[in-house]
Amino acid sequence: MTKPPPSILEITRLARLRKVRGVQRALALRRALNLVYFWDKKFFFVAMLVGFAMLQLPVPAGLSQEGLVVLTMSVVATILFVTEPVPLPTVALLIVVGQVLLLGLQSTDVAKSLMTDSVLFIMGSLMLAVAVVKQKLDKRIAWLIVRITGTRTFRICFGVSVVSGLLASFIGEHTVAAMMLPVGITLITLTSQDPRKVRNLAAVVLFSISYGCSIAGIGTPSGGARNAIMVGYWKEFFYDPSDPETYKFIIDYARWMLFAYPMFLVQIPFVTIILFMTFRPEYRDLSRAVVRLRQQIEKEGPMKRGDWVAIALFVLILSGWIGVSGDIGMGTVAIMGAAAFLVAGLVKWEDVNSGVNWGVVLLYAAAISLGVQMKSTGAAAWVAESFLALLTPIGAGDGLGLWGAVSVLTTGVTNMMSNGAAVAVLGPIVLNLADAAGESPIVVGFITAVSSAFAYLTVVGTPACTIVYASGYLKTTDFLTVGWKMVIMSTVMMLLFAALYWPLIGV
Amino acid sequence: MSESSGKGFDVINAEKAPRDLFTPGSGARPNRFRILVGIDGSDESYRGLRYAAKLGGGVDADIVLCYVRPIDQGLRSGGLQVRVARENMLEWGLELPGIKYLRQGLKLLQELGVMDDSWQEESFHQGVEGDPLGDNKTVYSSPTGKQVTLKLKVAPDIATGILEQWEIGEYDLIIIGASERWRKRRVKSFWDPALAEKIAVHAPCSVLVARELEVGHGHLICTDGSDKAEDAVRIDAELASRCNCPVTLLSVAHDDDGEPDAVAAVARASTMVESQGIEVHETLVRIGEPVKEICETGVDYSLIVLSDTARTGLKRFFMGSVAFKVLEEARNSVMIVR
Repeated sequence: MTKPPPSILEITRLARLRKVRGVQRALALRRALNLVYFWDKKFFFVAMLVGFAMLQLPVPAGLSQEGLVVLTMSVVATILFVTEPVPLPTVALLIVVGQVLLLGLQSTDVAKSLMTDSVLFIMGSLMLAVAVVKQKLDKRIAWLIVRITGTRTFRICFGVSVVSGLLASFIGEHTVAAMMLPVGITLITLTSQDPRKVRNLAAVVLFSISYGCSIAGIGTPSGGARNAIMVGYWKEFFYDPSDPETYKFIIDYARWMLFAYPMFLVQIPFVTIILFMTFRPEYRDLSRAVVRLRQQIEKEGPMKRGDWVAIALFVLILSGWIGVSGDIGMGTVAIMGAAAFLVAGLVKWEDVNSGVNWGVVLLYAAAISLGVQMKSTGAAAWVAESFLALLTPIGAGDGLGLWGAVSVLTTGVTNMMSNGAAVAVLGPIVLNLADAAGESPIVVGFITAVSSAFAYLTVVGTPACTIVYASGYLKTTDFLTVGWKMVIMSTVMMLLFAALYWPLIGV
Repeated sequence: MSESSGKGFDVINAEKAPRDLFTPGSGARPNRFRILVGIDGSDESYRGLRYAAKLGGGVDADIVLCYVRPIDQGLRSGGLQVRVARENMLEWGLELPGIKYLRQGLKLLQELGVMDDSWQEESFHQGVEGDPLGDNKTVYSSPTGKQVTLKLKVAPDIATGILEQWEIGEYDLIIIGASERWRKRRVKSFWDPALAEKIAVHAPCSVLVARELEVGHGHLICTDGSDKAEDAVRIDAELASRCNCPVTLLSVAHDDDGEPDAVAAVARASTMVESQGIEVHETLVRIGEPVKEICETGVDYSLIVLSDTARTGLKRFFMGSVAFKVLEEARNSVMIVR
């Protein structure tokens, strides 16, 4: 060789140039990119193929043609909910299109079926959630907690669970998770700046927030969208204004609390105990962090007038839900509350607009609309009867067996998709199942709504888990390590309540 | 949180401006070797960074640390955007995880002696539609013009983010971590192998997938005698020599008939490397199934180096490529050279 070897930079540049110019290379890249598109969206095509195949099937005995179409749409929607090849609000749009094109419904009728009191309630609650987070009351709450609990880690975590839970049961778990997350992280970082040294402490504190919120979500209808959906289904399916016997199917805010609130309260201590048994925190005492937290909070000064107004408004909304929601609807109270916060100037519309994901409202509207179609075309009843025929031989045809089966089914589904969507899809089926098996639809409905909160296993299971995971302190495997214990605890607790407590208050 | 330096930056300005600011002759800049290191807070990603520092020290490279944060998805959080929680954290004066991880990477570089106090710091911010925090970056530059950049990027997913970063930056090498414990399971970890593969397939430059990356056991460079493979041998031999890693050459023949070809390929590569003035530590010829042989031989080295496949288009689609199969199956780090 006479020439000196080319330098590394020359070679890389040459190689790169050759590649960019190579027609073959460009073609190969384009082909690869196209394949990637199909690969990314593969479940969309799978879902569409499944839907097409189902529509070609002969109509099974006991099911109408419309029933088959609605059932097909539900199956396709479920596949899309679980695999998410397209953004989820797209599924909502497709449901609307499907109802008009495949079922032959009038466009106006479909549009009308989208908006119900439940949807209004979900929308209003989300706006309220942003308004509440923006009030920055979190520092006061944090100080209140540590003032009562002292500095022992166990007591602080218990306090965090209790307060997160009590708040979350009224204003939704996502709201409280967003408010309490900085509190938790502040306690952790003030203890040690090195995340490795406080791994277990971080897990205990953050899970206290997220599981505290999750178990509270069952407490009231405003705890989560899924509860509102179930309330809507009961009314839609069983309520008949001309028949006084069916009035019991209108579950208002107070009645829901009577059923579910005690269940939440009983679970709180178990959360802290399970967490401390699973993760052993490095620090048994957090006095250093508490002292510094106090210094931070003292800078805030005394409560301002805006803070008191916000609290007063919140109490008003709460009493509105408990007192008058039976007459004017829970949705109306929720949007009245949102309006009040805006009128009082406590929150800017821009914040509300960017803080709420409106796609969720759309998604639940479409899912509920499809659920109602499942019922009215008889598809839900058909699925319920077929399912019951499967359950009866294994002794799960009625009573505790059926409750357990419904609970396991819901827990399974809810760990795979958003829990609101799970209730929207399963609701019509399980309510018909209860009807066919001669069980109370209210008990089975409660079991479904409550079990849908048992998504402790995955990051995406419940909103609180997603938000807490965003802090970056937790691993996905942490959710599995502690989640299964929580699932067992909650399921056992719920079945105990269904068997012992609910009969006492008359179902 | 890095400071914002005005909103008016468009993509080009935000990326190009710092280069011109800090180098006397801006023409000199593009010739610098640039390494992009994906940081996700895992040990693997920091091991990758350590390697980049060693490599960077040798070839006087710029290092860019990039953390990609997915765009917020409000559906998961029950209709309340995760950003509401993030904004709340910022108001408490808490650092978001991405920034924390990047800072940790910076500390590592300082400990390794790559950077000292004479380096200057400058921050840039760039808005991203639909996300209040947007892209942020902090550039540290030495008096000699060498740069280390911390970049917090917002993108729909991690692979897209890293590839977009290449589009605006033109890197010579991308280092990403893929930790062993996630490999066989379908759990979607942050840096799952699918991600590493996605980047390796689409990135127009060399990609190093770091797994249990340990510095000091040398490079195993594979050649099949093709032009492309020989380019790769040249490039990596140069890299290896800059960081004092011993070079071992390997060629695999499918059966006994192919053995003379393989021996010739290794011999050719060996002469080539030696003509670059680099010592060849060892030459190996194996017979058998290439992917299996390469993976088994590679266990003893820090890094398996392969060229991007010579196959293109349909042939690649149907038959797959040795390079990507090795990337999938090897237990240690793999570098695909382009």
